[in-house]
Amino acid sequence: MPPLTHRQPGLQSSVWHSSFWLGLLPAAALLVLLIAPLLRLLLAGFTGEVGLPGAVADVSLWQPWQDDYLRWRVLWSLAQAGITCVLAFVLGLPLAWVLARFEFTGRSLVLRLLMLPFVVPTLVAALGVLALWGPHGVLSGWLGIHLQGTPWLLLYGNLFFNLCLVVRAGVDALGQVSARQVAAARSLGATPWRAFWRIEWPAIAPWLMSGLCLVFLYCFAGFGLALVLGGQTYATVEVEIYTLVAHELQLGQASVLALWMLWLTGAVALVYAWLEKRLAAPTRVEPVLRKAPQGLWQWLALLAALAVLVLVCLLPIGAIVWRALAADAWATLLEPDVLAALGNTLRFSVIALVLATLLGVLHALAAQHSVWWRAAAFLPFVVSPVTVAFGLLLLYPSWTASLPLLLAAYALLAYPFVTKALAAGLDSLPPHVLQAARTLGASPWRSFWRVTWPLLRPALRRGMAFAAATALGEFAVTLFLSRPEWTTLTTLIYQRLGHPGQTSLDQAFVLACLLMLLALLSFLMIEWPAPGFENSQQVAGTDVRPKAHKHA
Amino acid sequence: MNRRHFAWAATALVALTLSTPSFAADELRVMVHSSFALPKPLLAQFEAENKVKLVILKGGDAGEMLNKLILTKAKPVADVVYGIDNTLVGKALAAGVLETTGVPNADAHLGAALAAVDYGFVNLNYDKAMVAKRAVALPKTLQDLTLPAYKNWLVTPNPATSSTGYAFLLATISSMGEAKAFEWWAQMRANGLKVVKGWSEAYYTEFARNKGAYPLVVSYATSPAAEVFYSKDKLTESPTASLNLKGGVFRQVEGVGLVKGGAQPAAALKFVEFMRSAPVQETLQTEMWMYPVHTGTPRAPVMQHAAEPTEFESPAAPLIARKGSEWVARWTKVVLK
Repeated sequence: MPPLTHRQPGLQSSVWHSSFWLGLLPAAALLVLLIAPLLRLLLAGFTGEVGLPGAVADVSLWQPWQDDYLRWRVLWSLAQAGITCVLAFVLGLPLAWVLARFEFTGRSLVLRLLMLPFVVPTLVAALGVLALWGPHGVLSGWLGIHLQGTPWLLLYGNLFFNLCLVVRAGVDALGQVSARQVAAARSLGATPWRAFWRIEWPAIAPWLMSGLCLVFLYCFAGFGLALVLGGQTYATVEVEIYTLVAHELQLGQASVLALWMLWLTGAVALVYAWLEKRLAAPTRVEPVLRKAPQGLWQWLALLAALAVLVLVCLLPIGAIVWRALAADAWATLLEPDVLAALGNTLRFSVIALVLATLLGVLHALAAQHSVWWRAAAFLPFVVSPVTVAFGLLLLYPSWTASLPLLLAAYALLAYPFVTKALAAGLDSLPPHVLQAARTLGASPWRSFWRVTWPLLRPALRRGMAFAAATALGEFAVTLFLSRPEWTTLTTLIYQRLGHPGQTSLDQAFVLACLLMLLALLSFLMIEWPAPGFENSQQVAGTDVRPKAHKHA
Repeated sequence: MNRRHFAWAATALVALTLSTPSFAADELRVMVHSSFALPKPLLAQFEAENKVKLVILKGGDAGEMLNKLILTKAKPVADVVYGIDNTLVGKALAAGVLETTGVPNADAHLGAALAAVDYGFVNLNYDKAMVAKRAVALPKTLQDLTLPAYKNWLVTPNPATSSTGYAFLLATISSMGEAKAFEWWAQMRANGLKVVKGWSEAYYTEFARNKGAYPLVVSYATSPAAEVFYSKDKLTESPTASLNLKGGVFRQVEGVGLVKGGAQPAAALKFVEFMRSAPVQETLQTEMWMYPVHTGTPRAPVMQHAAEPTEFESPAAPLIARKGSEWVARWTKVVLK
């Protein structure tokens, strides 16, 4: 955590006071929409009672471990997250090193494109994986094998999202390795490999580990990918919870599973928080200068790295576009239920974005002087949306089909992005500029409006872009809490996937393309900043590790 | 700053209020399963004659749709529901989501709250081409399917997530008895039974007719007719056929009824009659691929490819309601776990 210096001189005396009032609304939201439903779930799990009709109550807390089938679900959920971490690490570290140390044409473009998977909705990504490797997929048809019914579909989907996260974290971390130390090691005769191992690795390891912790959380608590790609055998606990509620109405068993998920994600989240806390604050070091690759091997390394990126992170997106263009189903865009779903998606996203911005800004301002407030903003990240939605369902049965509840859940899952980006922006505000403005006679309001706000705007925009992408692609909560007439693009795609025939599949690809275009708009908001804001944007952005869609 | 936040909060509240749908007085909300399909002009005619606007809500697979009704009971999402069948009616009645009085022509198979609209048969379908290629005679009984000759032949939708799969499971239990039936399922598991989530995945991905690897699929007696109907080339004979084995045929009756607490009971009753009217009975055959309940309805010509099975299972709704979820749980244990 960077040192918290006097950022708002005019407000110093009332710091505690103002952060309390500012934080009131986000705290209430967290309490009502997250903590209370979770406590309700705990209660249901411990007492075995469930407050909804049609529920079977005779389940024990230990059932997930006594029952072979459920145990397999839990263990597989853990395993697929673990395997993804290993794969992301093995592929991601060399990739990050190459991108951090070599200078080449298009490098900044590659770094920008690395953000692309972050805004791709999960369901779109799942469709992309199917389009490549499914029964009639592009690559599977070409290679003569298809991966449906194997664990590889899900693992590949996991990698699509998480490789970029690891690479991005690795590039950032490698940028903080001191050039002098590396140079010193080299001049003392260390080979590049030894220099990496003794100097660079210790410096970046904690960052990578905390990144991998996040990867584990995303994969473990992920829903959309596992639902579409997992099939009967390789679906995760989150999918099982959804099936138990939506198809079997076995709320007791579902709540026990959700409870175990809560404990397990909680444990991983604790490890993550602990790792983050141990991370040293980034100090200004002279970064290692990037060099153009020299010689055959370095060029090969660069090409191999780019090939891996294309294969894992770009191909699924390309496959969607390709399938959508090849499909003869564009007329579906004019169907009334598609237009209605598009309208719902836009309407819900805009409202959720407004709410999320409100909550996020308040929370970030409140968190300026309090580590606890900062930590609280992570709560919606560590609890899986399926669990949240299920808790809401239990706690407010008469609200199950109410729009305010659905939208509040959207906002809750999206607002931490705003908080995180804005908090990073606030941290990097140069205090002297503000002090200068105040010394020159500007009122607190005027200095905020003329100095602070323009400096913060890029960070806010970035946070809002991620929040918007989250809301656009939201899936888990929508499946749980929505009413049929509130069908969004994501749920409509899922419905089309469940319908018979090539036409429905083609339509799903067209709709996925549309949804991706919408998500792309938020990507452009993130990665193509207006001229003049580039620098502050990057400063504010270094700390943002997006994660929303993983949960969706 | 505070002014700004206040403005945001106000905007959000206004937006929320505006976007909460208040149901118009002339709106009839109809909950249906995802296979519901009727021609638009027909629906428009109903709207014009009864001065209502139809809002069709597709609630997913029939079982999923019913669960949605149950979970939203406190604030009903629909006025009338179509698609609850004899496998689900007991659960619907027990959960109290149906208005149990006043539906005209309530059906004996479906209880007091639902009027029958159509019926169909869940059975096995086979791909003629692949069966010919394998040069093995078709099985004569369900028990034959457990023989090595039929290893990796059958794909079925999961009874837990598909009403088709559920119906087939009920048929096996009804004909063999619970103990024998689950023994059979265990043998089938050992003999390479493939399980997928829903009917469409089974039929359109795994079934040999659609480039899959399985010559047998749990589907409907009308599917061979649908194959002819939707074929790009003009076919005189269906590429698939029904295989009606004892214990492998389930008679399914679908009904329409009023949702308890619905806001438009009068218009909802009109819709019940509409679903049983002659034009709907005639078109539903080739729209939803079911048989019309009205015996006088002329059969669509293409239905000649969909002969009705003469022997079938149709267990009593109360028994299904009492034991259904227990059977599904046991099935999951025997076949998947």
